[in-house]
Amino acid sequence: MTTNYAALIADDRVHGSLYVDTDVYAEEMDRIFTRGWVFVGHESEVPGRGDWVTRKLGREPVIMVRDRTDTVHVLANRCSHRGTALCWEAAGNARSFQCTYHAWTFGLDGRLKGVPHPGGFHGDKASLGLDRPGQVDSYRGFVFANVSGDAPPLAKHLGPGGTELIDRLCDLSPTGTIRIDGGWIGHRVASNWKMWPESDNDGYHLGWVHASMVSTTDTYYEDTVLGGEGGNKSLASDLGDGHFELDFRPSYKTELAWLGAPRAKVAGYCDAMAATYGAERAERLLWDGPPHAYIFPNLFLGEMNLAIVEPVGPGVTVHRHTAVQLDGADEAFNRRLLRQSEAAMGPAGFIVPDDAVTAERMQAGFAGSRPAWAVSGADPATRAGAGGGRAWIDLSRGLDRERTDSDGRRHGDVTDETTNRAFWRHYRHVMSGWS
Amino acid sequence: MGIDEATRREIEAFLFLEARLADESRYEAWVGLMADDVHYWVPNGRADYDPATRLSYINDNRTRLATRVRQLQTGLRHAQTPASRMRRTVANIEVLAVDDAAGEVTVGANQVIYEVAVQSTGELRLWPGRVTFRLRRVDGAWRIASKVVELITAGDSLPNLTFLL
Repeated sequence: MTTNYAALIADDRVHGSLYVDTDVYAEEMDRIFTRGWVFVGHESEVPGRGDWVTRKLGREPVIMVRDRTDTVHVLANRCSHRGTALCWEAAGNARSFQCTYHAWTFGLDGRLKGVPHPGGFHGDKASLGLDRPGQVDSYRGFVFANVSGDAPPLAKHLGPGGTELIDRLCDLSPTGTIRIDGGWIGHRVASNWKMWPESDNDGYHLGWVHASMVSTTDTYYEDTVLGGEGGNKSLASDLGDGHFELDFRPSYKTELAWLGAPRAKVAGYCDAMAATYGAERAERLLWDGPPHAYIFPNLFLGEMNLAIVEPVGPGVTVHRHTAVQLDGADEAFNRRLLRQSEAAMGPAGFIVPDDAVTAERMQAGFAGSRPAWAVSGADPATRAGAGGGRAWIDLSRGLDRERTDSDGRRHGDVTDETTNRAFWRHYRHVMSGWS
Repeated sequence: MGIDEATRREIEAFLFLEARLADESRYEAWVGLMADDVHYWVPNGRADYDPATRLSYINDNRTRLATRVRQLQTGLRHAQTPASRMRRTVANIEVLAVDDAAGEVTVGANQVIYEVAVQSTGELRLWPGRVTFRLRRVDGAWRIASKVVELITAGDSLPNLTFLL
């Protein structure tokens, strides 16, 4: 029996058990992280031949590696002989992957190249290469994988919304390319992974969760979020396909507000942008800045940061971030981005630790959550308790004032829970097996 | 090394004071021990890279450290409200270098912080690492020109690190 998701997720509320239930977690690992597309990494993380990084796609440990023909592969981090992990550090460079157990050797493309004492080996080398996700594809350097191999193409997963978000970030580079080479920092939080797509894109909490940051530093959030209802023109937007955004663009009062630096301080970058895009389009890009958005299920585009949301268990998540570096921008500009990332993100940042402790308090609050049918023993097919019962959380904020534009995108006030509903609507769709 | 026993004791006493102020979240007094050009660095891994070129957990100059402390002092920093219960031991103290011209000494020590995360999970967290100080005499008192904390867990995924390391 699988969980009755339609009974646990309504348009205006979701049930707390979805954050703690071990069956739900197992089903997510299957339906979202195995059968769907998942962000793996960026091609610039493996700039040279033989460069590799390790990642987790749900439960599947993988290696992202660039081979001798400059093809980027995603391979299972698991020897095809006896299952030993081949790489156990975060990153490295290799000519080939050799297992430490019996020295089976694999090429950078995953092909089985050598088996010691071949006299006793009668296997088929061609079929004993490293496992790999059924589909791997990339968009502007962002590598995604679908482990099961039977999801619709990446372009369909990203949809127009996800594609546009990645475009808007990459177009801030004078060469149209971002670079990820500042290192990743993992932040371990005792919460379910779904608190992160929620809180990373919640425009309602800033004035309270981040009150200490807001009262000690000057940030552009003053103009873009904190005015609250009607105090600014920012939007909470559902871009479809599980992707969503806090859109600050309508609120910016100056160019480069998102950078917190005037043109005079980053003139080289501004000139390079104008040289690439022409004065008019560069001007637009410099006003609009990067998106603050989420690509389902595990990629946060946090303005000039990326974060990967890695589920570890129902109550443990790693929020792993890095700073975006813009190819074609000067070194001083990119170092500014590193310093801004350090200020905001990670275990010691001025922002995210307060989200982390809030997520942990939510997890504590959900500890006893069980759907009404589990408590009463009623048949889940009858949806007993769906209309009442305990441990529901309310996500109705702004539902009655959402508007839908001509592209079918829903928009609310930046403080509205439009972004959270966008996540859950798609989650329900995927988890109910309707995709 | 050109350092006498009395100076060595003075330096040890200074490190123990610094540790106690950090343990007790006495932010104002702690930050008062810093030189104006202080660098407070908690690298993402070993301290074997130029912090300008990569991300670190903490990479504070005086201005950013002042912001960090000001944020903690608001009483609204949820990740440290209430403040973590902490005690640390500082051991294996060695004077590693003396620069008489600059009036500076470099001191290394091992440190273990025991932290109870009272803000949420209530778990006991251990933060073992290597601490390297560059200390300078300013108007007759020792001041911290640089403090580098190399956690042995650095590079792994870490929980909130919002207290004074």
